[in-house]
Amino acid sequence: MSFVIPRRALIVAAVALIPAAAFAHGPSRQKVVEKIEIDAPPAKVWAIVGNFGDLSWLPGVAKTEGTGGNTPDQAKRKLTLANGGVIEETLTKYDEAGQSLSYKIDSVDVKILPVNNYSSTITVKDVGGKTEVEWKGAFYRGFMNNDPPPELSDEASLKAVTDLYKAGLASLKAKAEAK
Amino acid sequence: MFLASLLVGAARADEAFIPNQSSDDLTIVDLGAMTPGAALPIGGKPAGIAVSRDGARAYVTSPEGHFVSVVDARARRVLKRIAFDGQPFGVAVSPDGRRLYVADMNGRELLEIDPDSEKTRRVEIGAMPSGVAATPDGRLVIAAARDDNALVVIDAENFARVATIAVGRHPYGVTIDASGRRAYTANVESDDVSVIDLAERKLIANARVGSHPYGVALAKGRAFVANQYAETVSVFDAATLAPLATIKVGEYPESVGVSRDGGTIYVTNWFSNDLWSIDAESYRITGKAATGDGPRAFGAFVRAVD
Repeated sequence: MSFVIPRRALIVAAVALIPAAAFAHGPSRQKVVEKIEIDAPPAKVWAIVGNFGDLSWLPGVAKTEGTGGNTPDQAKRKLTLANGGVIEETLTKYDEAGQSLSYKIDSVDVKILPVNNYSSTITVKDVGGKTEVEWKGAFYRGFMNNDPPPELSDEASLKAVTDLYKAGLASLKAKAEAK
Repeated sequence: MFLASLLVGAARADEAFIPNQSSDDLTIVDLGAMTPGAALPIGGKPAGIAVSRDGARAYVTSPEGHFVSVVDARARRVLKRIAFDGQPFGVAVSPDGRRLYVADMNGRELLEIDPDSEKTRRVEIGAMPSGVAATPDGRLVIAAARDDNALVVIDAENFARVATIAVGRHPYGVTIDASGRRAYTANVESDDVSVIDLAERKLIANARVGSHPYGVALAKGRAFVANQYAETVSVFDAATLAPLATIKVGEYPESVGVSRDGGTIYVTNWFSNDLWSIDAESYRITGKAATGDGPRAFGAFVRAVD
């Protein structure tokens, strides 16, 4: 699992020189929904997912530094990826009873994850004693103006987030189902 | 079928015209039964909507297709596409139905377009023109310059800028009350709604709402505001600006509309692909209708049916 597309890094780096403040709300917002069934009790899965300050279950994350516990708008986490990239996120909603949390990315380089205005929700559901985890994301592509380069297109952002969720959910499943 | 529609013909409900950005079409929802009907192909990632006061026309902006579709609302047919040099986004129609006002999202201007002759006039708005509304008397057009944190007031006759009013951070949707006295704009980044006195051309106050507000509707002396991240509709008293309620709605709510009688609020949920109806008095959810994928309906999407 990797957040980066190394072959294209040079092109992306050039594009990333466009100042972030100049980005308009241009293109269409994209959405991704991924689900996985886990053969473990929901409480066990929520014990992993529900700790916002620890994203060690997501492949590619080398270190999570969390502050503010699980308090919405106060809880923040800084992810340092295995490849050196950094993502900063804020918890926006936390529903203990509903076993669901939402967060947004405050800052990420489009070289790491080709998205803008990214927000996400993870929900743990009970399906007859087993668990279904749903991971949803809403975001704009990496390039916010017209005529994006391919690596910052709608398709590229959808693929990056879909791949991330699939790999993350598979890893979560393996961890939760381990004895 | 035929007989049934004849019998209910006298009491037809309003309709919602909902552009779906991801599925590239327009869903028409019968607001009486809360059932979706025809889905018209639109293309170009449609987002903005304005329905003429007489219910004859709907105008849909396609930011990525660079055109505005003119829809015969009764016949459910796209009459033509008006080419737009830029990214058409927020749209309003003049009360007499003879002019369109279209914001160029990635430019700096608002365009006035005659939908018949396609003749245009332009006025500079500022950074990231987004929501647009016209006063009920047709004299003023109000547009949000999102990235300038301002509302711009335009004299409709001369199509010239007459005032710029500083509001909250990133004003988006714009709504004007039935008397034409006040404008309301939802500030996405500062989580509040700026209330503007249009005669004085000044900010009255900012009313706090939920996270990432997008659209505002007015009914029963109250403002109903869709909060995209909070996934709620905030209700506040339009006179005192006192908060009244927070209503849980679907996922990523964006646009809010109101029935002609003021009794029902409608909210589009972009992520969950549906339109919910809410009783404006009890705040109860009274119905849900499926839309296409990614309903935006940025603008006044309720069509009066006679």
